[in-house]
Amino acid sequence: MATLNLRNITKIYPHSGGEKKAKKKKSDSGEKKVNLQITDQGVVAVQKFDLDIADKEFIVLVGPSGCGKSTTLRMVAGLEEISGGELLIDGKLMNDVEPKNRDIAMVFQSYALYPHMTVFENMAFPLRLRKVPANEIERRVKEAAEILDITQYLDRKPKALSGGQRQRVAIGRAIVREPKVLLMDEPLSNLDAKLRNQMRAEIIKLRQKIDTTFIYVTHDQTEAMTLGDRIVIMKDGFIQQIGTPQEVFDHPANIFVAGFIGMPQMNFFDAKLLSEGGKYFVTVGGCKVELSAEKQKNLAAHKISAQDITLGVRPSHMVLAKQAGNTLSATVEVSEMMGSEVHFHANAEGRDVVVIVPTMNPDGSHIDTFTTGDKLELTFSGNVCHVFGKDGRNLEY
Amino acid sequence: MSEPAVTVKRPASLKKTILRLLLYFVVLDVCVITLYPYFAMLCTALKGRGEIFATQGTILPITALWSNFVDIWSLAPMAKYMLNSFLIAGGSTLIAMLCGIPAAYALARMKFKGQTAFLAFVIVSQMFAPVVLLIGIYQVMLALHLTDSIWGLIFINAAFNQAFTVWLLRGTFMGISAEMEQAATIDGCTRVQSMMRVLLPVAAPGIVTTLIFIFINAWNEYTVALCLIKTDTLKPLTVGINIFNGYNIIEWQYLFAASIFAIIPVVILFMCIEKNLVSGLASGGVKG
Repeated sequence: MATLNLRNITKIYPHSGGEKKAKKKKSDSGEKKVNLQITDQGVVAVQKFDLDIADKEFIVLVGPSGCGKSTTLRMVAGLEEISGGELLIDGKLMNDVEPKNRDIAMVFQSYALYPHMTVFENMAFPLRLRKVPANEIERRVKEAAEILDITQYLDRKPKALSGGQRQRVAIGRAIVREPKVLLMDEPLSNLDAKLRNQMRAEIIKLRQKIDTTFIYVTHDQTEAMTLGDRIVIMKDGFIQQIGTPQEVFDHPANIFVAGFIGMPQMNFFDAKLLSEGGKYFVTVGGCKVELSAEKQKNLAAHKISAQDITLGVRPSHMVLAKQAGNTLSATVEVSEMMGSEVHFHANAEGRDVVVIVPTMNPDGSHIDTFTTGDKLELTFSGNVCHVFGKDGRNLEY
Repeated sequence: MSEPAVTVKRPASLKKTILRLLLYFVVLDVCVITLYPYFAMLCTALKGRGEIFATQGTILPITALWSNFVDIWSLAPMAKYMLNSFLIAGGSTLIAMLCGIPAAYALARMKFKGQTAFLAFVIVSQMFAPVVLLIGIYQVMLALHLTDSIWGLIFINAAFNQAFTVWLLRGTFMGISAEMEQAATIDGCTRVQSMMRVLLPVAAPGIVTTLIFIFINAWNEYTVALCLIKTDTLKPLTVGINIFNGYNIIEWQYLFAASIFAIIPVVILFMCIEKNLVSGLASGGVKG
């Protein structure tokens, strides 16, 4: 239970002699931290990170590998020094406070259990260090074990547990202490897909049972969307957007967010924004669509003029038109049958497009099927398309 | 369909059997070559003087004189030699570990300028044979009034094994995920606590292996002890048993009987290391 304020947090890994060259070389070869800024002071991993986290809020930091999300979390934990900015927990400056005095707990991707201790001892360890009386330790460990359904494994050593069970123990060790902030660094990435779905649901349940502030790091947008009260999307050390899952899905701030959130990825087209008679239209291929009233208002407010744009439309918002005319023509390349829906991978205007179509009409009749080489006529509504400038920014905001 | 499968299988299994036999043969050879000196040692230790110097001697003793193993304890201060060896090996192991663990920890977990140079320097220091350094060591010990003293040998053996300790433990620590210690610091440990309560128990197999290696090295050390120790009752076993290597006659049976006593601790300790090398205590803590 705590509020967190991250103010203008920056992380720079200083180069030390030969490392400078090595890091430059590494980024040249297109490895992980390819787009990170390399300055005279060092490699910048996180920049201008501003975030206020409310008490009991569940915040998810999401982004591709090397975007700085784990570094940010480790700075909150105290495992990495903060190069610039301020970290406040409950209004107290924590920049130079030892990890053990921050009253936080952390779940690591690798579990980081103590292999020489039993599950009980692992979970009791943080309490023992805080000199909690033995009977109280026993009560709290058993309570946490019950929440996580690991009571029967309390006497086992970590090596006798499966991946999912180990992760539960790691979570158990974090929650017995009833910390102010619970940090989770990609806790589900080491689990297989089925177990991951199951544990995701467990974390949602856990969240309802324990009152604490969560910061959760993941590269999986499904986890981000399902778990977070708010999502922080990061790229190259910068925050791209902060918002509720619905907000970032409906109103992506830029092309990166639009492409990162949503499965399958949003379709992008090279299009034109037209301003005719005080109204905005987008044209792509042979398709001209008038934007919705809200979008008209937003664009007008920013005095956006007619220009070349990147148009974004989610696959589920693409509609199959009955006949050609004011439509976007596409050629089917692959069709994927998913049961209740079909994903058509097509080519339109030289771009790959994914269209999701339900297999059944509301009246129960099946839709026409298309195979490779078939022509599709597509359209979309002015409500659901996103208008991005050539710099990638959403022109509405 | 099954016929070709059988014909394919037969030569494969024959090849396997031949390879296996070859392997057994090689292993047997190695065993004979390594163990024969010990066998010869035991046989000689059981012979009488007459039998050893007989012109038409046999490998196996004609009459086994087990009394040789008892006699040496009265003919020489064997118990004292053994105690000295234990004190020297134990003391130097303790000092080498006390200095080596923090050094290895710092080298494995922290970054500082000149780290590579330091590691190279440490390994270079290991490259000199003790004999090369003998005169220098003698002068230092003379200045410190540590010649003819068990303490002197303890310090020298600790120093000789320091490089090995640092390198081996550094490797062990680096093989253990730092996340475990980070988890411990978040759970409430200080850096030292996280090392003592998490890293060291997890690194126990590596630590025990290092410990035993140092102990055996110190136990077997001969050259420096020979030069530094004059008083008979301060000699370690390696030097002490030369008492049977007289001016006029070498009492081979006693020398070898004493040598067998000298190798017993080494054999036991080696058996312990083997057990520790096999057990993978670190498994299970992190994803693997």
